[in-house]
Amino acid sequence: MFGLRVIFTLALLAPSTALAADYVGSNVCRTCHPDIWANFYRNPHYKSLASGQEAPENTGCEGCHGPGQAHVQARGGKASIVAFSQLAPDKVLDTCLRCHGQTLSRANIRRSVHTQEEVVCINCHSVHRSQSPRFLLARRQADLCYGCHSSVRAQFAMPFKHRVNEGVVQCTDCHNPHGAFTPSYTMGSRPRMMEHADVNEEPCLKCHADKRGPFVYEHSAVRLEGCRSCHSPHGSMNARMLRRPTVFTTCLECHNGAGEFGRRASGITHQSSTHNLADPRYQNCTTCHTRIHGSNSDSFFLR
Amino acid sequence: MKKRLPSLLVLAGAACAQPPVAPTNEPTQIARGENIATYNVLQSFELGYRWRTAGGDTDMYRSTVNYGNGVRLLASSLTVQSREGHGRLFDQIVVTTQGLGNDPYQSALLRIEKNRLYRYDLMWRSNDYFNPALTISYGEHLRNTTRHLQDHDFTLFPQSSFRLFLGYSRNTEGGPALSTIQLFDARGDEFPLFANIHREQNEYRLGGEARLLGFRLNLLRGWQDFKEDTPLSLSNPSQGNNPGDLTKLTSLKRAEPYHGTSPYWRVGLFREGKKYWAVNGRFTYVAGRRAFVLDESSAGTNRLGANALRQVLTFGDAERPVLAGNFNINLFPASNVTVSNQTSYNSIRMAGNSYFVQYASGQPGPPILPFQFLGIQTVSNSTNVDVRLRPWIGVHAGYDYDHRRIRSVDGQENFGDPAPGPPGNTPIEQTNQLHAGTLGLRLKPVKPLTINLDAEIGRADRPIYPISDRNYQAFRGRAEYRRKALRLTAYARTDYNTNSISLTSYAARSRQYGVDASWAAAQWFSIDAGYGKLHLYTLGGIDYFANGKDISGESSLYISNVHTASLGARFTVLKRADVYVGYSHVEDAGDGRAASTGARLYSALPAFQAAQTFPLRFLSPQARLSIRVARQVRWNAGYQYYGYDERFATLQDYRAHTGYSSISWSF
Repeated sequence: MFGLRVIFTLALLAPSTALAADYVGSNVCRTCHPDIWANFYRNPHYKSLASGQEAPENTGCEGCHGPGQAHVQARGGKASIVAFSQLAPDKVLDTCLRCHGQTLSRANIRRSVHTQEEVVCINCHSVHRSQSPRFLLARRQADLCYGCHSSVRAQFAMPFKHRVNEGVVQCTDCHNPHGAFTPSYTMGSRPRMMEHADVNEEPCLKCHADKRGPFVYEHSAVRLEGCRSCHSPHGSMNARMLRRPTVFTTCLECHNGAGEFGRRASGITHQSSTHNLADPRYQNCTTCHTRIHGSNSDSFFLR
Repeated sequence: MKKRLPSLLVLAGAACAQPPVAPTNEPTQIARGENIATYNVLQSFELGYRWRTAGGDTDMYRSTVNYGNGVRLLASSLTVQSREGHGRLFDQIVVTTQGLGNDPYQSALLRIEKNRLYRYDLMWRSNDYFNPALTISYGEHLRNTTRHLQDHDFTLFPQSSFRLFLGYSRNTEGGPALSTIQLFDARGDEFPLFANIHREQNEYRLGGEARLLGFRLNLLRGWQDFKEDTPLSLSNPSQGNNPGDLTKLTSLKRAEPYHGTSPYWRVGLFREGKKYWAVNGRFTYVAGRRAFVLDESSAGTNRLGANALRQVLTFGDAERPVLAGNFNINLFPASNVTVSNQTSYNSIRMAGNSYFVQYASGQPGPPILPFQFLGIQTVSNSTNVDVRLRPWIGVHAGYDYDHRRIRSVDGQENFGDPAPGPPGNTPIEQTNQLHAGTLGLRLKPVKPLTINLDAEIGRADRPIYPISDRNYQAFRGRAEYRRKALRLTAYARTDYNTNSISLTSYAARSRQYGVDASWAAAQWFSIDAGYGKLHLYTLGGIDYFANGKDISGESSLYISNVHTASLGARFTVLKRADVYVGYSHVEDAGDGRAASTGARLYSALPAFQAAQTFPLRFLSPQARLSIRVARQVRWNAGYQYYGYDERFATLQDYRAHTGYSSISWSF
């Protein structure tokens, strides 16, 4: 015990000439937390120490955990230091945003649904025990999201889905978990937390570039209501992630000629009388209307 | 124990997503790496052989799972880390890969960083896509393509208040495909065609971020180039899909190069003012333009049995500038109150023309020049107030208003028409509005328990489509109990929308319920399980022609009752072997009917009755054994079964046995 006191005292004395009164420096912290210190050089936060140019309150352990002198004098304990496990969610957010608030992708974090629901940084990021190669994620990204979004996990278990479980697509390809600007390509506030493509368009177009157009003949549903008009973006029990098991019901639920709807407020184009729905050949609309997402040559999307 | 617990939780969490059985989740013992000069080098590899046998409809297997046989570098990672943070050229290199060596889903990640000077990130992904889609277009829209995605991002001075960004992304898709065409007139036949898909998109980005007058300014300029050159052809003379039809096709060739660019700007401005306010804005402009030519020549016999020779030539261009702006004000009048208001403006203007001329047996028809315009302008404003009344209770409420204006023009110029009719280019305009309110409650009655309740009610006038939101309400509730290594969650969610007018009605209801549990009981045992139910009920008015008669007054009904269940358990045996068993079960029970048709609900046509519900089962049990054979070496083996089973038909059913064996090594 005496030895430990000596170490504490020496450690306190050594940096005290250079640091503000309440800050003891990270070298003191390593005395009692060697397991964290041993791998801390792998941590992105180590950059603040390596630079040697940051003020005490912005560097090393105390950059996040606050001044450590009281903690040292109390010989540890969560009451004498900023312990994130004890912090209220808004305080966690404030602490992290001191440094991490200065980027556009997190500009909306304070008004995001996650913050509103008290899901803050440490719910997804593990500063000292991360197992991900980037971003200090506590787990594989999809597992983090599934932890709360169980219904979404169920959708990705369906036979037709984007390959998130397989690791080739990630939730953040389409979503910004730090809060995003309201989707400008549709009405209402849903879907939320979308990461826009081409800075202001629907995120589906990031990968499905051929559907972007512009086309001479746009399928206006795609532009007005988005891909979700016909597809379930996470996963579906139906081929091609359609919302219906067959194409013709997908199409006819809109193309029924009912008044008031459509660009002319006179109904969505009704199918022609030459289409005999009793004949199976007319039940696969996209056999003829192959360019259903938009065409340059034909107003009925035939080529 | 304390040190071990987080990693156990990680493993338990990983299990709940039911990823494919390989690569192996169990890590080798944490290696310290090797110190070389001022760097530490840490590596791990998992090399193995993946196998599969599939029976039934293997095309459907390839469409939904697609793992094959062969040697794979299932996973790997390399980290070179400067121990002092003062490396000469770099301080960190990280490389991780997955599925290299011909897995259908491959990815690689590279990061190179020099503290305070630069950071370079590369993400590369490859996705083999096969889809026969038997239920779509008679399975004639087949695709066997590979998509490669790569994103390069270079940041100069990443920790500075002034940063520069450079970026490049490339997205390519290529491979054979089948498509269809309908010839030679509106009553002709349909013919399968071969397509060689070639699509390529390149995006270049240049930007910077700086502090200006207390604001953070983010500027990005980008150029996105897209081109598609997908020729279509007929490989052999074809009788068409309907042999009774006299239409025949003996040759067809179509070329349609399609090129264009979408330059864009983004300006972001944001600032947090002490404790009391924050503002941010984002203003973007994307100018998209595409030019195209289509040349299609076909020969055969028309539906009257006469020879038909046709050439279609179209060319033109289309443009779609999109202007958007978002402006947010956040106020924090007290430490427990957040008031936010967002105003956004979005304007899309789509316009294009397409010169069209058709040659029938060498004789040109009158050329036409159709043009289209569709403009959409949306203005939105939303306000939200969030109050944390006590540490254990918080409420939030919001109001959202959207106003959308849609303007369209269709027109056509007929060249050579001696008596042209009216141009028909009178603009048509309509507007619609949406009012929505939200209310939420957040409770934490005891520390381990969190309860969230949310409601949203919206009313829209003149929705543009029958399936659009008109009168909708959404309610959501979620409870989570988390104590040490135990986590229990339950959720319920309903979404109702009705969009009925005088002669037709549309109603969509969805209800979701679920429970999940995960428990890391001990160092050697963890388990998680989940169950969810998704109920969908949609009824929409339809109108169609059958045998020459206009059938109205019927409805399209769709009922889906999807049950999903998952179970995962992990055991450690003798501190050396890890065993994981998992099970995923997804079943759409449909509406309980015994046969696809005959219910005669809402429609007399059997095709509609058969589309009302689509019961199927998709299940996948898996088991994995991972044995530590040396301090940093593991031998792994696993098996996973996939079963796809439609209740009303067996044409697309399959059963697949997949597995792997591998060695993982870290050092």
